Amino acid sequence: MAYLDLKNVTKSYSGVDVVHDFNLEIDKGSLVSFLGPSGCGKTTTLRMIAGFTKLDEGTILLDGEDITAVSPNCRDIGMVFQAYALFPNMTVRRNIAFGLLMKKMPKKESEKRVAHVLEMVRLQDAAERYPHQLSGGQQQRIALARALAVQPRVLLLDEPLSALDAEVRVVLRGEIRRIQSELAITTVYVTHDQEEALSISDKVVVMNRGVIEQIGTPEEIYRTPQTHFVATFIGTANQFFGKVSGGDAVICDHFTLLADDVKDFTDGQRVVVLVRPETIHVEPDQPKHDGWNIIPGEVETITFHGAVTRLGVNLHGQRVVADITVANTKPISLNQKIWLLFPPAACQVMAVDERS
Amino acid sequence: MKNPQKPLRETNKKVRPAGWQIVAVALFLFYMLLPIVSTYIFSVATRWDRTILPEGYTLEFYIRAFQTSYFIITLRNSLILSAATILVSLIVIVPTVYWVHTRLTGFKPLLDVLMILPFGIPTVVLALALVQVYNVPPLARSPILLIGAVVVYSMPFMYRPVSNAMQAIDALTLTEAGQSLGANVFQVLSKIIIPNILPGILSGSLLVFSTVFAEYTLTSLIVGAKFKTFPLLLVEYTRINGNIAAAFSVVSFTIAWLVSILILWVGTKGQNGATETIQAR
Repeated sequence: MAYLDLKNVTKSYSGVDVVHDFNLEIDKGSLVSFLGPSGCGKTTTLRMIAGFTKLDEGTILLDGEDITAVSPNCRDIGMVFQAYALFPNMTVRRNIAFGLLMKKMPKKESEKRVAHVLEMVRLQDAAERYPHQLSGGQQQRIALARALAVQPRVLLLDEPLSALDAEVRVVLRGEIRRIQSELAITTVYVTHDQEEALSISDKVVVMNRGVIEQIGTPEEIYRTPQTHFVATFIGTANQFFGKVSGGDAVICDHFTLLADDVKDFTDGQRVVVLVRPETIHVEPDQPKHDGWNIIPGEVETITFHGAVTRLGVNLHGQRVVADITVANTKPISLNQKIWLLFPPAACQVMAVDERS
Repeated sequence: MKNPQKPLRETNKKVRPAGWQIVAVALFLFYMLLPIVSTYIFSVATRWDRTILPEGYTLEFYIRAFQTSYFIITLRNSLILSAATILVSLIVIVPTVYWVHTRLTGFKPLLDVLMILPFGIPTVVLALALVQVYNVPPLARSPILLIGAVVVYSMPFMYRPVSNAMQAIDALTLTEAGQSLGANVFQVLSKIIIPNILPGILSGSLLVFSTVFAEYTLTSLIVGAKFKTFPLLLVEYTRINGNIAAAFSVVSFTIAWLVSILILWVGTKGQNGATETIQAR
């Protein structure tokens, strides 16, 4: 049985569903991310789990207990906020001890616990400082320590790294994952940053307009997106619109693409073919490769990204991006005519989502 | 290449004030201090109507002021009135401002407008209306009614600083952080919100104190001689002896200042006390 179970959760504001019929089971000890653009309902869902926002419909079960009507301070659910929300009038030590004080924990035990979580976030020296004397990254570490000190049943993180520098973000997300695995604490992590979600989660819930688009491991989400939205929201994908023809092809405006999985679609149905840039090979001379898609184009942009170089290629007026590694490609220059080459397996065919 | 931040830093350096700036500040200070200084001098002057400076100095008016039978009673009444008003204002305003900033945010504009009303209604009208409406014993013309009226009259002075302080701390997120750590509403208010808006509460209390301590119209019209306050005594003496009235004014100023210092001292002591407990742990 799932540890945290959301059933038919619905919330609307002035008639508009912000979260619609949301169903999700979260296993004990796992880290689940809610990923989606702003306004997709991810924070609202998190706040409903925390108890700060009331549900219109549905139930939330925690360890088999219905907590839908339980007030936030009695849920035993910890939360880390985007704005840190440390108490400005208290030192780091008192901030962390606050939850323990509310639980009326004996002073000695509380002191031990504070020291332990401070060590966990590697800020032992900051105990006597006030929040305003710390950097943003340090404040968020303390906020994490404060939430963990009471050993909550579930830890909620609401875009905890959005206010921080890129560098600090990467370090801290690794720390969050390390601590989460060490404690095996059930965690829900809200973010709009896909790289963040993919890198630290056991499972990712991709949300759009109040509904779940897909639930899966980071790899499943990236490699086998189930919907047009997920495919375009996660990573970069080239899109080719066309109509299904036969059991293995999609006819686009200027060329026909061979694809593996068009059997679920009817002949003539309008579909979109998605091709990730890293699956495209680039050849300066016309290649011969039976059964692959080979399309000529002209190089318009070359952007060096370190490990890969991204080419912007003009394909009959449509811009297509392809990632090449210097090691296995011949030198390519601007305005050069080249051939793009990719296997039918690289083509993901899905119904067109007119909203995306 | 020059560091682009450098010029910014140089503007932060202390700059010598221009001549006109010194003159402007001096004029302002002169305007503000002249009445106070004159009152102080007048209270110790023997005669001061034929010369630029008084003809002689004496403490006689202070002795006579302190010997006035009503001196201690009116002073006590004024202090009771001020303290009660501060207490009632705090009890009414702090929770209201908190709710308006966290749960009922839609009501904030309404409250902002309401808090201007006491400035718009003349105190004479307010007093007469209250006397008419609450013309039932035990309320009628009682000190309780006066406290109620003075609370309304001085409310903006408490509301503004408290509301601004609340605005500055993101009360909602702090509340939610407290709740997620197991604190109920009262614990959130007493341990998180109030300590963080304490500067606002202190400056509000100071403003209310100085306003109420000098309040004349409401007191005179609602309770009159039944609950004589210091301003009533002072006004009474302007008709009897100007020098004694000046001595009363000086006493009033001095008390207002002492109480201000006391409130500030209690406030900073409260903060230091908190710091000490933390360090002792």
